[in-house]
Amino acid sequence: MSQTVAARDATAGLFGEAELRRIAQEALRQADGDEAEAVVVARTLELTRFANSAIHQNVSSREAQLQVRVVRGKRIAMLTTSDLGPEGIARVTRSASDLSRLVPENPEFGGLPDARPISTAPSAFVDRTAATTPLERARLAERICRPTRERSLVAAGYVSTTAQEIAIASTRGVWAYSPETRANAEAVCIGDAGSAWAERSSIDVARVDADGLASEAIAKCIAAQSPRDLDAGTYEVVLEPYAVNDIAAFLGLALTGVAVEEGRSFVGGKLGQRVTGDVTIREDPFDPECVPRPFDFEGQPSRAVTLIEQGVARAVVYDSATAHRTGAENTGHALPPNSFLSCTPMHGRVEAGDQTREELIRGVRRGVLVTRFHYTRWVHQLRTIVTGMTRDGTFAIEDGEIAYPVKNFRFTQSYHEALAGTLGVGRELHLFAASEFGGVSAIARRVPALRLAAFTFTGTTQY
Amino acid sequence: MSFAAQRDLANRSLDTAKTRGATYADVRYVRRDVEDVTVKNGHLETVDRSDSFGFGVRVVADGAWGFAASQIVTAAEADRVAALAVEIARASAITKTGDAKLAAVKPARGTFRTEVEIDPFAMSFEDRVGELLEADDAMRTVKGLRTTRASYEIWREEKLFLSSEGADCEQLFFETGCGIAAEAVGDGEQQLRSYPSAGGRSQNTAGWEYVRKWDLRGNAPRIATEAIALLSAKPCPQDVRTTVVISSNQLMLQVHESCGHPIELDRALGSEAAFAGTSFLTPDRLGTFRYGSEAVNIRIDSTSPGGLGTFGWDDEGVPASEGWAVRDGMFVGYLMNRETAGAIGTTSNGTMRADGWARVPIIRMTNVSLMPGSAGTLEDLIADTDDGLYLDTNRSWSIDDKRLNFQFGTQIGWEIKNGKLGDMVRNPTYTGITPEFWGSCDAVCSESDWVMWGTPNCGKGQPGQIMHTGHGAAPGRFRNVRVGVVK
Repeated sequence: MSQTVAARDATAGLFGEAELRRIAQEALRQADGDEAEAVVVARTLELTRFANSAIHQNVSSREAQLQVRVVRGKRIAMLTTSDLGPEGIARVTRSASDLSRLVPENPEFGGLPDARPISTAPSAFVDRTAATTPLERARLAERICRPTRERSLVAAGYVSTTAQEIAIASTRGVWAYSPETRANAEAVCIGDAGSAWAERSSIDVARVDADGLASEAIAKCIAAQSPRDLDAGTYEVVLEPYAVNDIAAFLGLALTGVAVEEGRSFVGGKLGQRVTGDVTIREDPFDPECVPRPFDFEGQPSRAVTLIEQGVARAVVYDSATAHRTGAENTGHALPPNSFLSCTPMHGRVEAGDQTREELIRGVRRGVLVTRFHYTRWVHQLRTIVTGMTRDGTFAIEDGEIAYPVKNFRFTQSYHEALAGTLGVGRELHLFAASEFGGVSAIARRVPALRLAAFTFTGTTQY
Repeated sequence: MSFAAQRDLANRSLDTAKTRGATYADVRYVRRDVEDVTVKNGHLETVDRSDSFGFGVRVVADGAWGFAASQIVTAAEADRVAALAVEIARASAITKTGDAKLAAVKPARGTFRTEVEIDPFAMSFEDRVGELLEADDAMRTVKGLRTTRASYEIWREEKLFLSSEGADCEQLFFETGCGIAAEAVGDGEQQLRSYPSAGGRSQNTAGWEYVRKWDLRGNAPRIATEAIALLSAKPCPQDVRTTVVISSNQLMLQVHESCGHPIELDRALGSEAAFAGTSFLTPDRLGTFRYGSEAVNIRIDSTSPGGLGTFGWDDEGVPASEGWAVRDGMFVGYLMNRETAGAIGTTSNGTMRADGWARVPIIRMTNVSLMPGSAGTLEDLIADTDDGLYLDTNRSWSIDDKRLNFQFGTQIGWEIKNGKLGDMVRNPTYTGITPEFWGSCDAVCSESDWVMWGTPNCGKGQPGQIMHTGHGAAPGRFRNVRVGVVK
């Protein structure tokens, strides 16, 4: 079998700041309205997916979108195109301009935000991530698949690399540009009667430890075979970072100005009050170990915000529209314009504690170790009640040690009430950078393992 | 760009792929135009029009798969992307345990078009938005709501598919969806009612006639009143087993989650194990496993009028088809593509679908529907029920990675006492194990109460893909169901 290994230029497929500025400025120049904004997101997303320990889907897509908002008084029209050529720019700006004459006024609209100084953040772009070839990704996948095959186990997961550019310009003088890369690998290791999970993310593909991932998943998978029945009920738990990431994601949806405004946030009317146990959650756009970006999708400077400090609700994040409606200060956390969600923490961090994973487990007399959650959904957003399943490595803990694997649980639990019983916080933070929002790699998060006093499992399944 | 011009570029990509060593190749060009409009609290919150155009090339080379896509539509890019797809396939081959094989299919040739009564793109923008504003206004005639929303989506998609086997087909799809929602907050409670279904909107392959059919303005005051009433409604009975009658719009989601996904053969064969999961409906159970009671009949049908999974050909050129997934309660059919169908010794029933040009096709639901029974209307079914709960419109949904343990919440419920609806209950939930739950189904309403719903938000695959799937359902009754998980 012949292999053609083409070295790749890290900038291949990128537009670059000058070209994106030209595209955005051209859109603004052609827009016919009181003011206008152009958001350009371009990325090359490449993902090598494997199952049954072999690659079965292996894809590369070069994607770009130009989103133009034209404002006429309090009338706002937004159009998006994937065509960044002259015809596409002309079509989208003309259509947005025409539409801005037709749409009804939104009396709550406060105008596009002014340009504000944007601080410098550490670079989130690593050349070798952008330059990763299909063969290099396949070899990383094989470093996960091969050891599982050697142990008569099965691996399924993916290795991906993404190079993305974000640019925002407006007639109010806004200009913001950031290139960034993300490399992710994740895998479930499956045996005859049990499975286990591991994942790694970094902006630098060289820091994605495929061997470590494979070792973690294989060792846990071997321990997870032949799970026993354990009755549903309320247990003390140790949650691996994979599970904690889900809690941070859901609470992030509630730690926003719009959630407070609409009466569906657990911190609504409770800033300054204790809402959880001793955990601290921050939004830190400058975290060099995350995917730093110092501005939001309106080109506004993103502030570091302490959301919950040792259990006390301190603040929520805002975009310009929500800040205007509620009289708050814009923190610079607007998502790409969409119909569903205006703002959210995009660089959340549950602060590390001082305990190793083993120390967290050692403190539990009788409890459950959860590797990750599956298919989690709001049951009651105001009370942060979420239901979901455990998956890929659930174990009973007895007398401070992992005792035996157990069949998966369904849980129905208020997430912030679970954090009220925080007994320990892991000292290692795990980066999660794979999530997407509207076709854009917008959100990343770092979280530790947690030991919680009470977590309610409301059902079981058959495996 | 015309289909003819796209065809020239597609043929160029096919030639390049074959020259580079591909033993199979296909090319899709997709142009998608979408308009999403949301009215919130009486004001136009967002107007988002988008157009997206690009192409994807899928190949087999060295016995393995590769896929590449781009939004740059030029001859040079057609060559680059095809060559990249082959390079990717060759990289895939370093892990292969066998060669990719495709079950035979007659090359697709022809055209398909969604029939619409009112082309939504031909209407004026003011007319479309005006109907939303009227519905939103009608909700806000009810005092005490925190938030009201009304939204629509109109969708037009052109698709050209060519393959190295000689397929060449053009398709044009229209979709229209709409919905309204009222939210009330008070005393630590947050309650939502939406119409005609949950999740923002229901959608069909249809024109604007689909919006008119639902009479959003006429139903708005009822929805708003129910949202307010839920704040002081009694809680759902806690952790009891009882009879539940489930509305059509909730039961369609139950079908989607507990039948539609587990009959995906890629899941059953492990292809989705890391993300969506696998399936309890393993191939050894095909034709032998009792999925539900004899009242349960579930059909796979990509020809159903209005269904979001209705088309001429799927995204590997297999024609639309119809067949059974569950017949008289027995599990008898999968959703398949050419590769997985071949693996179990049959032919594809045409369920490969991709979310636009930038994503590779994967097995997706088309229209997976619970077929009508003989229980009459919803009123007849309730009249036939002595004691239990009627549960309506989804609020929460979750199911395990083999699709066994599920838990759903609905926006609203009512007690059923002696064949009549009684008190309203809030925060209802129900949970169970899939085959036990469907095994407890003793009645499904008749054709008169059967509705083709559409879920425009089904997630699957990595990179993530959102698919629009169709599900017909009529209300059904289930015995001895555990309800009231949330206190």
